[in-house]
Amino acid sequence: MKIRRFLTRRLTFIIPLLVGIVFFTFMLVRLGGQDPVEMLAGPTATQGQIDRIEQELGLDQPLLTQFGIYLMNVAQGDLGKSWISTRPVLDDILARLPVTLELLFLGIGLGALVGIPAGMRGAAHPNGWFDQIARAISLLGFSIPTYWLGLVLLFVFFYLLGWAPPGIGRISMMVIPPPTVTGSYLVDSIIAGDWEATRSALGHLVLPVVSIAIISAAPIIKQTRAIAVEIYSGDAVRYAKACGLPDRQVRKIVMRNATVPILTFVGTEITGLVGTASLIEFVFAWGGLGQYGLNAIVNGDFAAVQGYVLALALFSVVVFLVVDLLVVLLEPRNVDAT
Amino acid sequence: MMRIRTVFLAATATLALAAATPALAETLIIAAPAVPEGFDGDALRPGTQNVVPQVYENLTRYGRKTDEDGREMLDPATIEGNLAESWTVSDDGKRYVFKLREGVMSPYGNELTADDVVWSWEKSFDQKRTGNFIANVSNVESVEKVSTYEVAFNLSAPSSIFLNALTLYVPGIYDTTEVKTHATADDPWALEWMQDHTAGFGAYTLDQVRPDEMAVFTANPNYFRDPPYFDRVLYREVPSAASRATLLLSGQVQWIDRPDIGQIVQLMDDERIKVMDAPGQAMMAAWMNPNFKPFDDKRVRQALNYAVDRQEIIDSVLRGYGDVAKSVVPLFVDGYDPSAFHYDYDPEKAKALLAEAGYPDGFEVELLYSDLWWWLEPFVIQLSGQLADVGVTAKPVRITGSDMRSRSAPAVRDMPFFTFESGPIVLDPGYTLYLLAHSKGVSNRGDYENAEFDALVEKAIATLDRDERLEYVKQAQAIWMDDAPWVVAAYPRTFEAMAPTISGWVFHPDNHERWYDLKSSK
Repeated sequence: MKIRRFLTRRLTFIIPLLVGIVFFTFMLVRLGGQDPVEMLAGPTATQGQIDRIEQELGLDQPLLTQFGIYLMNVAQGDLGKSWISTRPVLDDILARLPVTLELLFLGIGLGALVGIPAGMRGAAHPNGWFDQIARAISLLGFSIPTYWLGLVLLFVFFYLLGWAPPGIGRISMMVIPPPTVTGSYLVDSIIAGDWEATRSALGHLVLPVVSIAIISAAPIIKQTRAIAVEIYSGDAVRYAKACGLPDRQVRKIVMRNATVPILTFVGTEITGLVGTASLIEFVFAWGGLGQYGLNAIVNGDFAAVQGYVLALALFSVVVFLVVDLLVVLLEPRNVDAT
Repeated sequence: MMRIRTVFLAATATLALAAATPALAETLIIAAPAVPEGFDGDALRPGTQNVVPQVYENLTRYGRKTDEDGREMLDPATIEGNLAESWTVSDDGKRYVFKLREGVMSPYGNELTADDVVWSWEKSFDQKRTGNFIANVSNVESVEKVSTYEVAFNLSAPSSIFLNALTLYVPGIYDTTEVKTHATADDPWALEWMQDHTAGFGAYTLDQVRPDEMAVFTANPNYFRDPPYFDRVLYREVPSAASRATLLLSGQVQWIDRPDIGQIVQLMDDERIKVMDAPGQAMMAAWMNPNFKPFDDKRVRQALNYAVDRQEIIDSVLRGYGDVAKSVVPLFVDGYDPSAFHYDYDPEKAKALLAEAGYPDGFEVELLYSDLWWWLEPFVIQLSGQLADVGVTAKPVRITGSDMRSRSAPAVRDMPFFTFESGPIVLDPGYTLYLLAHSKGVSNRGDYENAEFDALVEKAIATLDRDERLEYVKQAQAIWMDDAPWVVAAYPRTFEAMAPTISGWVFHPDNHERWYDLKSSK
């Protein structure tokens, strides 16, 4: 009951939020300066042809009218057509979403797998040698630009050492991709029992996933450590230690208390790392939503950019919702406070 | 006994199988910024132009010649038949009848006929885009079928660039027998089908396209000339320029489209990559609009031309890879005439001319540029440095690419001093002069106007006699150089980067290699 009320309350905020996001994107993209009409018309177009193309694209109407039309279409599930690919934006996005999600979740999964224990260990023995190293690595992760990291990893592990496959997409060009079930080559090839494709997909995943993992691990280490340190100096731990509980038990208590804040933080991280994932996609020619969005922005493909931002916004909303739901399930006490 | 026989049979079978296995297809792998999202030359999308010339060939093509280094290049002065075998011209120059080659087949097994040519041109007329522009500029009024293999073009007036225009990839010639099966009442030109299919008579055909990933082209098995070296071309999307370079260096790809010029100069010394260059056709220049002071005074425009040390610009901006610009017509175009150029680097003369025009202390002006091409910014910086030496303060001001394009539109043209990368795709002097400097030229962004010049250019375009035409063109170039509407600097060379085993590249003015030319020496 409480959960249903909680959900309903949350959902009522989402619609105006999404409308607001779409509105801002819509206006920014049109006022931003990238003009697709010139590009579509070609270098030899006359003024008349340019006007005609503007009319075809609906760009000659007043901005608010354009927005109204767009909003109405979105409400019916029509995100418009990409001017570059002339396919419906919705189709384009749905086809690429699983590709990006695979990258994102594997990357952050790895980052959390490494980062959370590291942060916890560092907090258990603050300023010890492990803590120092973990903090230094975390600082490095914060400072390194994503794009550069991806290129450097490619250069070192593919070009110099030959260990990794070329950054030329999700699967080797000589391998036939598995039939589409989920959209992820890795999962689909396992489902199809195609071990060659599985190996190839896995191999191609390594570098991009590691790039994202390194970038995401940095804030996770730092935040986990901060959360854990605070818990260690808190009442629960003091009481546990006073009762004479062994270290392992104390760590378990800390873990239990830290779960909710860490979960919330990782949720935020996921949404924050979508931009990073886009750059990684760009470097490794991944062909996912991020690359699609970047291409759309550069080419002034308004409908595609709007669809892309809307998809990301929706994704963020869903992630936050799921995280909040999990928090509520883990700690029902918090519901009334929200 | 049985054992030996079994082994013997097995061995024989294996050998037979090996012998029967066909040779592996020769594959060329290209890394490019984007997979084309459309294959219709009249509906340009990013990447379309790179691949359309491989699939769609036209009635004529440029002849070839060998330069002094033994390299094969286009000969802009000769036009030979391609899909057309021969043609006749009426006495008044307004009607051409082309005899098509017989037995030219598309990958779908259909033969080229006059119907294909007529349909294709009508499509371009109807779409009113690039194809239509080419038709207008070469005075084509209508195209009609004369017989199965004969097609006639009716021109509104004689045009010296008509045959040149026919070498372009647009209006393309489609296998209409195949295309029409995909046309509908709403989509009579099958434009939707053309998003991801091709049907031409060229050397290659689109096999499949995976958006954001790659497009696969295979050689046209029915191509009317000798088969190309490469049976297959994988056109792979690799958005990051750095990644493309890495892939080329490591040998994963054999060709990169749109090499990042900043990298080219570094890569040139690398043995793992072959960089080839050719003279460019887009001039590096600063345009002065005579409708704005002080550029309304010819002496000021000439003064700025005397103030420029062109070799220094070539050395610093282009690292030496450029040629001094001595005419608005590019160097390798038939009819290029540098004799009218007399602006040697002479700052004293520049200052004298400025003083004579009433600006003894120079003047201040904004020099607009955009990020549309890589050398625009470094050029502007060098140029303003040199102009400062004669008292002209040219302040570099950067505007967006779309701003630059919209302000150069015929109805606007409000930029007094700016730079833009622009070059003719038709290798004809009349066409070039018209495009860039005729008062009605689409690319005459600086609004230059000279009635005498206009008249000469119009005569050149209408004259079919080569010597007469070259005379008009020479006079026109002289007038233009004297009027000096641009601060002319250099023609940057164009580059292609490929694996060292690749050879055969021939420069084409549309800046796209032809895969048909390429070979590998493995």
